[in-house]
Amino acid sequence: MLLSYFCHSIILIMISEIIIGNVCKKYPNGIEALKDVSLEISKGQFFTLLGPNGAGKSTLVRILTTLARKDSGHFLIAGLHPDPDYRKIQKLIGVASQDNEIDPAGTVENLLIFQARLFRIPVKDATQRAGVLIKLFELGNECRKKAGELSGGNKRRLHCALALVHKPQVLFLDEPTVGMDPLARANFWEIITQMNRAENVTVFLTTQYLEEADRYASNMALINEGKICYNGTIAGFKKMVNPDRALSLDDAYLKYIKTNHR
Amino acid sequence: MNSASFLLINRCIVKLIKQPASPLTGFGMSLFFLLVYNAGIGGIGDLEAFGNAGYLSFVFPITIISLAMGSSAGAGQTLNADMQSGYFKRLYLSPAPRTILVLAPIIADTLSSLFFSMLLIAIGAAFGVVFKFGLLSVLGVLLLSFLWSLTLCGFSSGVMIRTGQHQSASIVTNAVFPLLFLSTTFLPRELMQAKWLLTVSWANPVTYVLEGNRYLLAGTSSAGFFHLAVLILGVTSILSVVYALSGAGKIKV
Repeated sequence: MLLSYFCHSIILIMISEIIIGNVCKKYPNGIEALKDVSLEISKGQFFTLLGPNGAGKSTLVRILTTLARKDSGHFLIAGLHPDPDYRKIQKLIGVASQDNEIDPAGTVENLLIFQARLFRIPVKDATQRAGVLIKLFELGNECRKKAGELSGGNKRRLHCALALVHKPQVLFLDEPTVGMDPLARANFWEIITQMNRAENVTVFLTTQYLEEADRYASNMALINEGKICYNGTIAGFKKMVNPDRALSLDDAYLKYIKTNHR
Repeated sequence: MNSASFLLINRCIVKLIKQPASPLTGFGMSLFFLLVYNAGIGGIGDLEAFGNAGYLSFVFPITIISLAMGSSAGAGQTLNADMQSGYFKRLYLSPAPRTILVLAPIIADTLSSLFFSMLLIAIGAAFGVVFKFGLLSVLGVLLLSFLWSLTLCGFSSGVMIRTGQHQSASIVTNAVFPLLFLSTTFLPRELMQAKWLLTVSWANPVTYVLEGNRYLLAGTSSAGFFHLAVLILGVTSILSVVYALSGAGKIKV
């Protein structure tokens, strides 16, 4: 019995990139943001966490990226526990959140190189990596400009490029395409899906643009009022909501929310 | 200290060089004290109470004190800018030690204060300030300057972190400013007439910094003041850094 449990745990850690077990979080104002959240996300999976505003999506991302503390439960990222040394996890993850996190006084190129250097990438490689990202995110004409002088869309591109500079193994994208024009969004998703497929990068996405989730993600969880209501494939969710007719994720989501969470 | 820590400290120093308003204000204020007070009332330096070393050597310590006060009024400007722009979160998500994110600006501010102290010492020496023990005196003055700057920058950054407003860093400077006038800043103890002022000056840490410096400069004070100044400033430095670091958890990321 014990051996079986042990073997199961080992296999789970081997195939899972993110394991979340019974995570709870209550804010000082009494709001229970997460109630016993458990999820398993496989290596190389493109996973999306959906839910209405205030459902607990960002709180879970903040906990997983070590920006906030959980009250109870546990989680592992690439088999690593955050408590002994969060820095080991930081090296593996890339985070692009809703708000731009850029130094307006730094130039595009310098910010990318500096970010890479913080991850202990040697100067030569950091410069090379910055060049690759500048090209990927089409920031070539802006690379000597200060970040504060960039247009809103280009700031967003730089923000996302900064999250990828150290070639993360796990990517947390918390509403990453907010403020991007359609072309920039398409370009961004091309980069992310390429990383996901070619480099087996695990993607953890939260978004309100459900067509993006529908197009790129394979698995999803639905969270509402801090509880996981669904966890499985996107196709499975659509089928569960409406077994008779194929719905888009957008329609399936709306139908589910309207039916179950008035 | 790892390479990420050095990168972050270096970044804060570069930012300070690009936006030197605060340290330059402190430097300007110090030069003002040195030159104007010496020109205005420097003649009283001939009195016996000044130990025949002249007024310039007597008033020089105030330049070191005011230098740090000017610098600390803008302490943590890089940290504040990072907090406002959201870039702090980006740094927070890097593998750099999180304590260094708060310490780096404090170290940069303190080092800038130390640099301007060296300039002041050079200017003071050129104008005739006496350094009784030569290089040892210079090193002693720099040590007191370092600890005093660290104290003020640490507390100022701590206040700024807690309030989230850059302007609030000047609270510490404003709180310390009256202490300059409740000490032996412009006159030696022997010439102070009000007994209450004498009593207050004993309890004023600024007095020990001033007198400790005076021991190193013209030797008009005893070594005990220097030792006490190092002890007091050593403790306040540690307290200020602890105060700043303990506020790190309050930074919204």
